[in-house]
Amino acid sequence: MSSNLLVYEPVAPCLTQPQQSRHPLDRLAGKTIGFIDNSKPNFNHLVEDLSRVLMEKHGVTAVIKQRKRSASQGLSEAAMDELVAQTDAVITGSGD
Amino acid sequence: MVSQSFIGLGRAQQKALGSPDLPMVLIPHPFGTRSREELKAIAAQCADDIARLLCEAAPAAAEAARIAPAAPRAKLIEAPADLAAFNKLFIDKRWGDGLILAPPTQDAVQRMLRFTDRAPDEVVATIAPGMGAATVEYIAIQGVMAGCHPEYLPVLIAAAEAVATPRFHLQAIQSTTNPSAVWLIVNGPIATWLAVNSGAGCLGPGTWANAALGRALRLILLNIGGALPGEMDKATQGQPAKFAFCCAENVDASPWEPLHVERGFSADANTVTVVGALGTWSMNMTARRGEEVLAMIADTMQYPASSDYMYGGAPFILLSPQHANLFHREGWSKAEVKRRLWEASKIRAGRSRGSEFERMANGRRAELGEIGVDSMVPISVKAEDISIVVAGGPGSHSVFVPVSAHTRSVTREITVTESATGNNF
Repeated sequence: MSSNLLVYEPVAPCLTQPQQSRHPLDRLAGKTIGFIDNSKPNFNHLVEDLSRVLMEKHGVTAVIKQRKRSASQGLSEAAMDELVAQTDAVITGSGD
Repeated sequence: MVSQSFIGLGRAQQKALGSPDLPMVLIPHPFGTRSREELKAIAAQCADDIARLLCEAAPAAAEAARIAPAAPRAKLIEAPADLAAFNKLFIDKRWGDGLILAPPTQDAVQRMLRFTDRAPDEVVATIAPGMGAATVEYIAIQGVMAGCHPEYLPVLIAAAEAVATPRFHLQAIQSTTNPSAVWLIVNGPIATWLAVNSGAGCLGPGTWANAALGRALRLILLNIGGALPGEMDKATQGQPAKFAFCCAENVDASPWEPLHVERGFSADANTVTVVGALGTWSMNMTARRGEEVLAMIADTMQYPASSDYMYGGAPFILLSPQHANLFHREGWSKAEVKRRLWEASKIRAGRSRGSEFERMANGRRAELGEIGVDSMVPISVKAEDISIVVAGGPGSHSVFVPVSAHTRSVTREITVTESATGNNF
């Protein structure tokens, strides 16, 4: 019969406290949407096309875009604060 | 918006960053190669999903995810005493790097904890991208599993602090598609005490300290940071240095001040430096004149797809003692070698094509202004951003180590307890 030993489980927990980050909008019509362009190839074109559809089909009033210097670098805190102050929701992208 | 192959990373990041209810819209992968017509179709579909999700309340599952965080003490579990069966269990659970592991028993972890004054439950760092709590105890557990001697613990604690420093940008290093490894460079008397190899074959196999320290850091990045390959670690291939990448600086053979002194530490301080390394390129040249070797190194540094050139990097040159002393005999300080390399390695922007040219033009615009195909682009913003370390044995090979975009190497002092110095090593 094989014996056992006690060992530590090596995977550490994440201690981040979950926050409520989703604040649903009542409707899109009349709202201002922000985009953080992650500067990956084609993302600027998608943002351009999305902006047009969101305004024409869903009544979004304005779109404000901020382009990052590179995908792996976050938007500066000042630029983020400005975007949050000017918009009702902010959208960004991840992937290739 | 997340491209389909990154959905696992996206979901894990929602949880790790404390936003489990953040809505995500999926787009096809790969996305960057789509035509303009395909993009318009994606946008039409995506806009409807965005409109729906922005007006939708958080699902009940996300509400349920708001649970109190677990206590930061490691849990004991039963595992087979048989080494092969123990390893099968850990590998099946993806708690390792694919090589055979030593069981992290209470005794083994306790022996390691004697080499620090810090409490086992003290959170030393939070390791991206999973934002796991790197307590002293969890670090010791990885050290035991990697085969570290107990006295290696202070190096691992300092390394965990270093990788979690914001300027190191571990989030990008851990989750990028690039083959980013973390290179550990040990400086100070502790390198001798622990017998960290700085000489012949220092980046290769055969030295316990180099292998175990490098491997333990990888286990920290896997088991605490959660960067499992194919999941949160999105490296397309990765690289062998992600198993272990560690050496000391060969101060005895170097004509210059060592890295840690250059960075403001005293010569007798013990430090570890972490570097987000994309690889190692051997540069071989036997020459009598420093100019010839310098030109060869500068030529090697120039490759158009380098993220150093895209964004202004911070590359490393690992000089062989032979090349370092050749430069020294020319009367060049380390700063002078950096300046000459920075000038000689400027690249014509037009060598980067298509999306890579656009990335370079966007990434360097703030620093260099508008970039045309004939603009000459330096590898880093300043010559001082290039780091030089002397290591290795006899031979005419130096090593170019390009770095991952936006990471900056970080040097941290290693705190060694009084009882752990001298004869204990």
